[in-house]
Amino acid sequence: MARVLVVDDAAFMRKMVSDVLLGGGHEVVGEAGDGVEAVARYQELRPEVTTLDITMPEKDGLSALREIIALDPAARVVMCSALGQESKVLESIKLGAKDFVVKPFQADRVLGAVEKALA
Amino acid sequence: MSDAPLLSLGESTAEAVERALQTAYPGAARVGAVVAGHGAEQAGEQAVHGLALPAVCAEVSYVDGVTGGNVFLLPVEGARRLAATMGAEGAAETAEGAELTELELSAVGEAMNQMMSAAALATSSVLGQEVEISPPQIRVVTTEAEAAEILRASAAPHVLTVSFTVADVSARLVQLVPNAFVVRMDRALEAQTTEYTNAPLGAALRAVPVRVWAELGRSRMPAGTSLDLPTGSVVELDREVEDPVDLYVDGLHFATGRLRVAEDGSLQLEVEQVLGLGGAATAVIAPELAEDIPQADPESPTETKEV
Repeated sequence: MARVLVVDDAAFMRKMVSDVLLGGGHEVVGEAGDGVEAVARYQELRPEVTTLDITMPEKDGLSALREIIALDPAARVVMCSALGQESKVLESIKLGAKDFVVKPFQADRVLGAVEKALA
Repeated sequence: MSDAPLLSLGESTAEAVERALQTAYPGAARVGAVVAGHGAEQAGEQAVHGLALPAVCAEVSYVDGVTGGNVFLLPVEGARRLAATMGAEGAAETAEGAELTELELSAVGEAMNQMMSAAALATSSVLGQEVEISPPQIRVVTTEAEAAEILRASAAPHVLTVSFTVADVSARLVQLVPNAFVVRMDRALEAQTTEYTNAPLGAALRAVPVRVWAELGRSRMPAGTSLDLPTGSVVELDREVEDPVDLYVDGLHFATGRLRVAEDGSLQLEVEQVLGLGGAATAVIAPELAEDIPQADPESPTETKEV
């Protein structure tokens, strides 16, 4: 079980991801709707795992990832974003993300990514 | 100018949107061909004519310096049924004609976001270069004039329209295409040798398709000079004949190697040195990625796989 921060600009997706995580026995300690909020919530909550969308208003997921890794080089972040951002995959991994889940996703894929991040 | 390249772009995008739409709503289907219009002022009005209203409108714009984007319009009743299929709570109990709940709108917005992302990927594939998009703007439009104004505001020179049915409701995809895309498309369609294939649901990182290309050399010149290059002119590159060729994976300088000619006359690249991702992440990820690169003859003295 892990303490997870869920970041997505769509309330529906935050709920979907949270439901999947709760169903997998994890605890959702917080949510954020944009990159600025994500960094602030990370600093405040220090979650064990963060799921992070890429295309978001205010500050996108890659910028937020960069700041989160700067705050905490050991941060475990799983990118979770729509198809069409393939070039973001390598960039995310290079910045320090542990995995990249393409939406729409199946529950097992999200849980697997979280497990992989924790390993 | 012929509409053929424009329609080809429209077809690719419409197919990608249909696939993404069917993921969210299995019964959804595309109806009819892509219709091309020119000038957002008039073509925009035609594009939304006859659409049932109010409708949820998802709009994404290109952000790489060109004007245009994609707009998907789905009447509210279709949006409600789509949200219910996606599992947005309370959708089934909502009376027809009522406004969408915040969660329903968010669910539909997410489905549209995924459709628009698929559309951008299809466009990138046809153009041969990545197209960056803004986060989608989701809103409900109540009149044709309001919907037409969104399209007009783009000032796009080309407007492509195609219809879909979602939950027995007629929806519309409007592509606002900048001139720059039409020019790039003319070139890209000739050079295109690979076809994008949609990644399966929940695909792992390794299944995400990436573009790979080899670069012989580079040069710099003023934009005006490049536009005025006559046929037969010679452009000097920054490499010698014996220099290695660079291999790029999704824009990342990933490896270097030597060009070879296969028996069938096609060009191949023999990887000499894998540079990998570099930095701390390399040790975790690069070996996985490098596994899929066919290795040169192990006895070859040129192979120096370093990851």
